[in-house]
Order: sequence, then structure tokens, then C-alpha cells
Amino acid sequence: MENTIKVERAILSLTQDELAKRIGVSRQTINSIEANRYVPSTVLALKLSELFNKPVNDFFKLSIDD
Amino acid sequence: MDAKKILECERKSFNKFINFRLSHQFMAVGIAIASLSIIMMFVRAFAMEGETEWLKLLLKKVLLVGMLIMSLSKDKVEDEMTVSLRAQSYAIAFIVGVIYALVMPYVEFGVSNAVHSGGEAFKDLGDFQILLFMLMIQLMIYHNLKRYR
Repeated sequence: MENTIKVERAILSLTQDELAKRIGVSRQTINSIEANRYVPSTVLALKLSELFNKPVNDFFKLSIDD
Repeated sequence: MDAKKILECERKSFNKFINFRLSHQFMAVGIAIASLSIIMMFVRAFAMEGETEWLKLLLKKVLLVGMLIMSLSKDKVEDEMTVSLRAQSYAIAFIVGVIYALVMPYVEFGVSNAVHSGGEAFKDLGDFQILLFMLMIQLMIYHNLKRYR
């Protein structure tokens, strides 16, 4: 799974910490998601979708390995 | 109450049980209990005289309780990732613990007999040794998983 959370976060001018606080997770979790080390749950993905005001598919993409 | 409601009720209480965690403040309590019991173990071994075997047994249990409290306490920011990492750490600790319990008695027996001929007789590990090892592994693995996440 690949994502463009970092880009979406930059568009909203949010730091990792600010984004983490908005969706109720730790900064390290955001860092891990951005680095593709952790695949978030559907709940978290929908929270991000709501915050970015975009469908989940726009910033999460399946990679060849998936 | 029909069967569906009973099932739902049972599911809820089971989920409550498996999701049980102590609040973050309990981490400090657990560390204090475990540290105090270790200090008291040294005091008992080097500074106390007389029959203190009961104290040794008691301190072992207290150490395990302290470590269990540490293991059960939540992080400052508890989210789905920490829950997942904790689950991984418990799984690894369980597997490593079983391997340790199976292999270690043979290692102890082999080393003891290699160092001096006619060494210790073969004996299984005690519950304290296995539980302490599993709790230590769980706490260490969890800490490392969080560091490298």
C-alpha cells in the first residue's frame, strides 16, 4: 500500500503532530503511515478522508505487492 | 432475553475483557513495585539473617505483579498502532517463552555437566523463571517495536 498523506498534509499546511492530534493518534503513527511502514485501519483512513475532504482512494493506492 | 441478545451481551463482555488496560499512570506504579521488590531481594540476600525463604517467595510474586502492571498499562497516546504493536509483542513473548521453557533445562543441564563432571541433575524451569522471562521479553519487544515503528 502506498499513500500520499505527506502531500495532503502539506496542502493543508499541517505538521505530523497537528494531523495526529486532529485524528487522535500519535505523531509516530502518522510518521509510520507516511513511510508506508504501517497500514491504517478503515476507521483511521476514513478519518483522514474526512479531514482531507477527499475519497480514500485519492491518497491510498494499492502497490504491486498487494 | 432471546439468544441473539445473550450472544451480543457475551460478545460485549468478552471484548471488554480482552481490551482491558490500566491507565498510563500505572506504568510508574508498576516500575516502583518491580524496583522495590528487586531492591528488597538484594537486601534479603545480603543484609538479612534468619529464615527469610517466605520473603523471597513473596518478593518474586510482587516482582511479577509489578511487571504485569507495567505490561498492562496504556501508553501516553494509545492508538490502533500501539494496540497492534502490543499484540505483536505478546505473540513473540509467548513463542519465545515456550521455546525458552523447552530448551533452557537442557542448556542448564549440559552446561552444568560440562563445567564440572556429575553436575546438577536435570530439572525443569520454575513458574517464576518462565513468567519473568516472558514478561521481560514482552516489555523489551514492545519497547523496541515502538522505537523502530
